[in-house]
Amino acid sequence: MMLGVYDNPDTVFTVTENLMKAGYDVHDVYSPFAIHNLDKVIGVKRTRLSTAAFLFAMTGLLSAVTLMVYASYFDWQMNIGGKPSLHIPTYIPITFELSILFTAFGMVGCFFFVNRMFPGRNTDVIDLRVTDDRFVIAVNIHPQTDVKSLEQTFVSGGALEVRERVKDI
Amino acid sequence: MSYESPIREPLVNGGKTYADVTRDILRPLENKPSTSWWIGFSISAVVLAIWIAATTWTMLEGIGAWGLNKTVGWAFDITNFVFWVGIGHAGTLISAVLLLFRQKWRMSINRSAEAMTIFAVICAASFILSHMGRPWVAYWPIPLPNAFGTLWVNFNSPLVWDVFAISTYFSVSLVFWYIGLIPDIASVRDRAQGVRKFVYNFFSMGWNGSTRTWHRYEMISLILAGISTPLVFSVHSIVSMDFATSLVPGWHTTIFPPYFVAGAIFSGFGMVLTLLVVGRVVLKQEEYITMGHLDAMCRIVMLTGTMVGLAYITEFFVAAYSGVEYEQYAFINRASGPYWWSYWIMMSCNLIAPQVFWTKWARSTPWFIFVMSIIVNIGMWFERFVIIVTSLHRDFLPSSWTMYTPTYIEFAILAGSFGLFFTFYFLFCKYLPTINMAEVKSILPTHAHDDHHDASHSTHSDVEKGDAVHG
Repeated sequence: MMLGVYDNPDTVFTVTENLMKAGYDVHDVYSPFAIHNLDKVIGVKRTRLSTAAFLFAMTGLLSAVTLMVYASYFDWQMNIGGKPSLHIPTYIPITFELSILFTAFGMVGCFFFVNRMFPGRNTDVIDLRVTDDRFVIAVNIHPQTDVKSLEQTFVSGGALEVRERVKDI
Repeated sequence: MSYESPIREPLVNGGKTYADVTRDILRPLENKPSTSWWIGFSISAVVLAIWIAATTWTMLEGIGAWGLNKTVGWAFDITNFVFWVGIGHAGTLISAVLLLFRQKWRMSINRSAEAMTIFAVICAASFILSHMGRPWVAYWPIPLPNAFGTLWVNFNSPLVWDVFAISTYFSVSLVFWYIGLIPDIASVRDRAQGVRKFVYNFFSMGWNGSTRTWHRYEMISLILAGISTPLVFSVHSIVSMDFATSLVPGWHTTIFPPYFVAGAIFSGFGMVLTLLVVGRVVLKQEEYITMGHLDAMCRIVMLTGTMVGLAYITEFFVAAYSGVEYEQYAFINRASGPYWWSYWIMMSCNLIAPQVFWTKWARSTPWFIFVMSIIVNIGMWFERFVIIVTSLHRDFLPSSWTMYTPTYIEFAILAGSFGLFFTFYFLFCKYLPTINMAEVKSILPTHAHDDHHDASHSTHSDVEKGDAVHG
């Protein structure tokens, strides 16, 4: 795997575009902050976390309605101030809150799961400066890859360093 | 990646590079705490001790230690609860609502405002627990199958809604805050050594900064903002329904939900200003939290202050127009009864005082903004006191009319809750980055970075060496 280290997000964006056009296998780009549209350039498919969020919201909604209808209508009706036991308008606040609660926790749980993130994980950071001020383009090397011209593209794009990384991620 | 408008002032001053941002914001974390931190922390810890003592006394004595009586059953406890919950609304508002409106100036202030939210909701929850009188049965409002003949909670009651609203708000705010912190915790991790590296590595969840991760991260941040926005509005609306669904004159009004939400934003921004006007100087963050930020927040304070002022006047109009004499008397009693002073403190602090922010001078003078922010905090505390105590102390039966006088214990709990809040806040300032570095880096103009790179090419290696020594 070849790494090109940069210090400017605009350059990284242009170089990545050029690499993709030239047909290199760009593994990933590491940056201290999100570079907008770079995900599209390297062909990251749109995440399905938004669908997951919607499903969790529906789960929350159903759980809340089921709980309240079961508890206050089927299981044990209570007459408090003559108010009805099965009364949809008063169920709205709790249904709303539980939908949001389930969405937030479910979606964030899925986010951690798809990224293989968990507390205490020892990640193999590609470059310690990538959470500070450096941007790293990682390109996978295959037997047919023209390493010389890859280095050339890295350097002519303004790379501060070009190096090889033996270990895969 | 960021377009810089030639008309608007830059969001971050001083021509910062990415490395400058990391170094400046992590300075308090990577060095020994300053004298001012120790002074502030010690004072907060002492006040926290007062809170612990007063709350413990209440637990041992029961709420007979307070000045409540048969007529006034809610007073300081719920006033303080609503006060702190209100303050807890600015953080999520800043990060969620301003994110949806693409207000980039939020980026320097959202982290500390969210932290403030969480600590304020903890303070609020402490009042919920202590006002129950028997805190060891505080789990009763939760719908659990139980041994009392399957007695469920009353889902028609706004107090039960409130349990769900506050606990959802607290946990979702905590998740939102933590998600925002992960990339920054990873920045600390990659510069730290030894035990600090271990701890920050634990909480960084293995963040690697790859584009795939960022892609998903942006998506969940947007959705969290999208669901937090209605959450903020719903929570304070539900808090207001604790009052509005009752039949007490002065509480029984349909204007309460929007009026409470505006008040919450108003008091929340008041507290954000109190913290940041001082914090930006002490933590040397004037270039990140600029005068432009203070100006924008002052405008919001003025707008929301005027909104609550409008609500106060509307309440009077509605009472007069309703023709209901109990309703009318409740408001006349507020403004001219035995608690007239609290009503006029509220009016002058919340409606009249913020009007000074129409002038440029007021919005650009930090000491004056600080004084105003304290006035806003006082005014909003009195708003809740006025709503609760003046509506209760003269009820339908004149023979039970009475006055409410707080005891020393209640004052101690109120004062002590600030100790609880500020102890958390000082620890936060020491152990976590108070500004969202990843977001601030994304709004730096990229050409400024190039200029710096060219101008200081010779010193570049020194900068890197300096960075490596850190930790």
